[in-house]
Amino acid sequence: MFFFTYLTRELRRRLRQAIFIALGLAVGVGLVITVTAASAGVKNAQADVLKGLYGVGTDVTVTGPAPSPPKAGSGNGNRSSIMMGPNGAQMCTNGKCHSLKNGYTIDNLASSSASPMSESLVAKVAALHGVAAAAGGLLLTDNKTTISQTPSQPTSFTVDGTDISHQKLGPLSNAVTTTGRTFRQADSDKNVALVDKNYATSNGLKSGGTITIAGVKFSIIGIVTQPGSNPPDVYIPLARAQALAKNGPAGASLKNDVNTIYVTAASAADIPAVQNEIAKLLPAATITTPSSLANEVSGSVSSAAKLADDLGKWLSILVLIAAFAVAVLLTMAAVSRRVREFGTLKALGWRGRRIITQVMGESLAVGLLGAAIGVGLGFAGVAIIDAIAPTLTATLIQATGLHIMTPNGAVSPTSSHTVSVPMTAAVSAAAIGAAVLLAVAGGLIAGIFGSWRIGRLRPADALAKVG
Amino acid sequence: MYELTGVGKTFTNGSRTIEAVRDVDLAIPDGSWIAVRGRTGHGKSTLLNLLGGLDRPTSGQLKLDGRDVGRMGDAELTLLRAAAIGFIFQTFNLVPTLSAAENVEAALVPLHTRFAERRRRVAAALDSVGLADRSGHLPSELSGGQQQRVAIARALVKEPRVLLADEPTGNLDEDTRDEIIDLIAKLWREHGLTLVLVSHDSAVVRHAERVGVMARGRLTFDSP
Repeated sequence: MFFFTYLTRELRRRLRQAIFIALGLAVGVGLVITVTAASAGVKNAQADVLKGLYGVGTDVTVTGPAPSPPKAGSGNGNRSSIMMGPNGAQMCTNGKCHSLKNGYTIDNLASSSASPMSESLVAKVAALHGVAAAAGGLLLTDNKTTISQTPSQPTSFTVDGTDISHQKLGPLSNAVTTTGRTFRQADSDKNVALVDKNYATSNGLKSGGTITIAGVKFSIIGIVTQPGSNPPDVYIPLARAQALAKNGPAGASLKNDVNTIYVTAASAADIPAVQNEIAKLLPAATITTPSSLANEVSGSVSSAAKLADDLGKWLSILVLIAAFAVAVLLTMAAVSRRVREFGTLKALGWRGRRIITQVMGESLAVGLLGAAIGVGLGFAGVAIIDAIAPTLTATLIQATGLHIMTPNGAVSPTSSHTVSVPMTAAVSAAAIGAAVLLAVAGGLIAGIFGSWRIGRLRPADALAKVG
Repeated sequence: MYELTGVGKTFTNGSRTIEAVRDVDLAIPDGSWIAVRGRTGHGKSTLLNLLGGLDRPTSGQLKLDGRDVGRMGDAELTLLRAAAIGFIFQTFNLVPTLSAAENVEAALVPLHTRFAERRRRVAAALDSVGLADRSGHLPSELSGGQQQRVAIARALVKEPRVLLADEPTGNLDEDTRDEIIDLIAKLWREHGLTLVLVSHDSAVVRHAERVGVMARGRLTFDSP
């Protein structure tokens, strides 16, 4: 075909210029692929963090309002004091005294981060339009303090009261049982527990062993693991959690209460509407969606996301604009040098459209070359990111629910969970396709600008440029 | 047959108007050879452009075989050039990246000639100008005379009725000039072409049947 013969010969003549244009486009394309892949990698890392926090199938999480700090001087009626008795030091609470000779352990299971809500609200939320399923849960903290003549450090671990009939919602949904088994319906009123593998390892717990929660021994029926996140340490049936837990370290019972409602929307598009519906039903509650939660995640994963979104995106756009501009200018310059050639072709009877097609073909070929090199550069960039990128960390700050009285008033400290998340830049076919289209578009835009002049060229004027 | 009646061409450059061709009346019968000589800038090339449909007259009427070239649309003019008119330029105007054969083939592209037929005609055209053995050479690998032979083959490969030559020997030495003029004369006779040749060289124009002189845009003939 004469078209391809002419095209290849012309590109060979302008090889250096063609390579220069193609490289310009390639750098832009490579950057787009690299930045997109890095951004996708960061988003995946964020998603891993979020999955671990609230489970895979959860679209909306509803938590009760953070507990308000107690007023100075107020209490829950409990009066504790350490007194000296005939058998040595003893701790007395509401007149009931225990000797501290062998130590006295206080083991509380409390909802500390969110105020309780009635369990009946779960059914109301489940009935809202756009809601596919809803399940209640109790996110609790077990605080253990031993008071003795030889003081020891207090310990605590997190406990999730899991709705066994809705295990696909909530923190347990993402868990994989490594040993033992998961909950069965028959376990709903039993003192059975699942323990997170990391917590089990660091505390020497095994499937078949026991763990004490709120002073009650629970049989460990399984060890579970969750990828890269900050999952609860222990899972127990919701009914048992409700029976044992209190609202705050020494508050009221949480029987028939939950402090978290996990909601699955009928579709991703329904999430904002579901969020609004729940806000109407529970105006004081905190409603969290994956996107709003992502905004609360800080740490290097957040910085990396911002870097990829802001600097990376704008750098790619700037490089692409520069590459397009260079391609357009060089193509126009090349066309200017070929005015005599095109005038001759017009004299031979070539239609303007045929000449424009020829020039566009050359530009398209350069664009495709740029795309091919750009995809290679993109993969190289991704490989470099994977090789040198440090492990990202995600930090989520949450209210502890504790209130400390200070001379300046009550202070509610927060706790932060930091998790390490490995970042792997992910190249998608869509990103490659988009990048290739960009390079081709760059080539075509350059061709259009170059051709615009040819279309307006009168043969006599073109030939007047001759000698 | 060309029939020119009161043909004029003016160019405007800002507020200046330049009359490149003024009131030309001319009849060029089929198969005849007309030469036009004159000093540079006196309208020779503009007249040739009008005859070749590369430009349109601003006044008068220019007919080729009874059709008014000045009133033709762009597409019709392009088709006319593709099928009926061959051009030879002073600077050869070969596409530098294409071989001799491909440059000749370029003239057949707008005619959509079949591949095999195209190859046959290209080979015959190059053979007729004595360059059958140089078909694969790039213009830069050919002498000036050889490049002009390729340009002549390109003009004739489509078997036009009209051949327009603008200073075809202007860039050649005397010996090569004579060779090229002899070749053009031979092909003119063999193909029965209507030939209009523009040159300032009296040694070239003397081969023509009629010689006109362009001076300040006006064309006059020494003899009827």
